[in-house]
Amino acid sequence: MSVSRSRVVDLMKVQCRIFSSIFNPTGQRLGNKILRQRLRGPTVAAYYPRRIATFKDLQKEYKAFEMYDETEEDRLESIQIAKSRGKGAPTKKRTAAESKKNKGKKK
Amino acid sequence: MSMFRAKKLDLGCFVNTKIMRDHTKRKVFAENEAERQALRYIIHNTTLPARARAQAQLQLSQMHCYTRPTQIRNRCILGGKGRGVLRDFKLSRFQFRMNALAGNLPGVKKASW
Repeated sequence: MSVSRSRVVDLMKVQCRIFSSIFNPTGQRLGNKILRQRLRGPTVAAYYPRRIATFKDLQKEYKAFEMYDETEEDRLESIQIAKSRGKGAPTKKRTAAESKKNKGKKK
Repeated sequence: MSMFRAKKLDLGCFVNTKIMRDHTKRKVFAENEAERQALRYIIHNTTLPARARAQAQLQLSQMHCYTRPTQIRNRCILGGKGRGVLRDFKLSRFQFRMNALAGNLPGVKKASW
């Protein structure tokens, strides 16, 4: 038993009204597939972990408390060792005369 | 491009220039996605006048390259590598191996049979 085209189209029309979809019996390209796509922006933008409070922020917030920053202490200790061996960074030259003192040709 | 970059660094992972650039591109893409999709809809809709569609095409192609999704690449959040990155862990293959063997990744264990 065959059903006439007009009845099928009617059925499609009702179907589209009920499910609030686009009635497009001729199969035209209406670009609705793009409207159906969800926006990927938020997930894409959340790929890298955002900056959260660091140890330094905590220290800055609660200055009254004494806190132990291991990496900072390690750094200071290594500088101390280097200085005691005479391998530390040279002191900052404050005046022009000081900075000129050791310049020129090597003897 | 520097005009898109955040004034203050807002990344909590390993940071290098490429990661900063990719992060910026992601944010710019997220901002402009709705506009891009609207233009794409106009282009794909054959019932609209040809002139409007051509204009939309031109407009879409003239948007800044940072707004394009194809500019975005998944990078390793521990080393910044752009190749061999496992999507599920956001880690490059070697970082994944080191962390998995160290037991930092819950549920991952070395296969043996």
